Amino acid sequence: MEEWLYLQNEAAPALLKGFWVSLALIFPSAIFGLVIGVIVGVLRVYGNRPVAAAANGFVVLFRGIPLVVQLFIWYFGLPYIKIYLTPFVAAVLGFSLCSGAYHSEYVRGALLSIRRGQMLAAQSLGFSKVRMIFSIILPQAIRRALPGCGNELIYLIKYSSLAYMITCVELTGEGKILASNSFKYTEIFLIIGACYLAMTSVASVLLSRVEDRLSLPGFEHHRI
Amino acid sequence: MPEQILRIENVSKRYGKKEVLRGASLTVDKGDLKILIGPSGAGKSTLLQCINFLVRPDEGRIWLEEKEVHYAHKRDLYAYRQKVGMIFQDFNLFDHLTALENVRIGMVKVKGMAKAQAGERAVAELERVGLKEHMQKYPAQLSGGQKQRVSIARALAMDPRVMLLDEPTSALDPELIGEVLAVIRDLGENGMTMIMATHQIAFAGSLASEIIFMEDGRISERGTPEKILFQAENARTREFCAKIAELYGEKR
Repeated sequence: MEEWLYLQNEAAPALLKGFWVSLALIFPSAIFGLVIGVIVGVLRVYGNRPVAAAANGFVVLFRGIPLVVQLFIWYFGLPYIKIYLTPFVAAVLGFSLCSGAYHSEYVRGALLSIRRGQMLAAQSLGFSKVRMIFSIILPQAIRRALPGCGNELIYLIKYSSLAYMITCVELTGEGKILASNSFKYTEIFLIIGACYLAMTSVASVLLSRVEDRLSLPGFEHHRI
Repeated sequence: MPEQILRIENVSKRYGKKEVLRGASLTVDKGDLKILIGPSGAGKSTLLQCINFLVRPDEGRIWLEEKEVHYAHKRDLYAYRQKVGMIFQDFNLFDHLTALENVRIGMVKVKGMAKAQAGERAVAELERVGLKEHMQKYPAQLSGGQKQRVSIARALAMDPRVMLLDEPTSALDPELIGEVLAVIRDLGENGMTMIMATHQIAFAGSLASEIIFMEDGRISERGTPEKILFQAENARTREFCAKIAELYGEKR
């Protein structure tokens, strides 16, 4: 009984607050990450040599350094050059760049899967390279990249829990504080685990809706 | 003096050490139907792709309507390609667009026409190739012959001065070849200037203004259908014509 009251009166409000912070981190990071991923993916495949090399370098950096280390650099490192970010902004920045690096890999794979004939046809009609990429290649590539990008979005939901390492107290952070005060680690983290599971489940349902929505004859997934 | 549409001079292309095209020259007048024949690897496709610079020639110059094409200049190149329609062996319709959108997109995105106006034109072109009732279908829902006719409509919508057809019926089932050839015949009768690589020897014999036999990247013999098909000078030409006549032609 006492336990139930604790969970209801103390834990639940704190966790709910953390939950909203988590959502506030995830949404912009997901959008910026996707935009960065598409741009970087296109530059890696269709950019001229220096541009493609720079885009590849971006991916090497942001995919290769542990995300926690990146967050520390944005939050604790930038003040050395007189740039001060709030924990929230530093977290969104770190998540977006890391997520973008991963998305770019899915986008790149999808771009490379588009048959050369599609480009020949566009060129033969007089399309410029940029117009061809936007009107012909990307609409097809996005459809092929979607399952992979969805995977990355699910990942983002989970690694948003790292924000508390730079004092942005979201769901996991609130849980950590509650648990270390009450020593109810098991109960608190079971609840938190369930919250993340709920978020990822909702996300995967929404993602498969989007996939169905964008599906066209010739682009459908054949479910065997 | 007939009106000259296209002049190609000494076009060559190498891939590494392999010379796929060795100095091909060609003049095409308005209303001509030039048929390219020859064994695979002879350079027919490469020549057609060099003509609209989908493959960059290593040497050679090209004139459209007596004006030289400066293909290194991007804007000139894009403008030139609009005037040169290209039909591919494997259709290359845009997979994510319906038949109607396939025909319309070039007019809207390249020529900058209003969507409604381009749509009307697209419907008219699809009607011309007999596909108006299929205009809302995606490429995956069309047969090979229908896809090739959509691609012809797509090229026609750009008002090309000349059309390049690269074995337009080679990927088709035998019973679908006729519907595509009928559309091409119709174009020829309406005065479209065309260069076409094909093995359809009977079609070539009845419609070509000139047949050009290619071998090893060179134009080795050229002449009227009568001459090439029945009195070729070159033994290799005679042998090749006999072989494809047996495979694709009507017995005479």
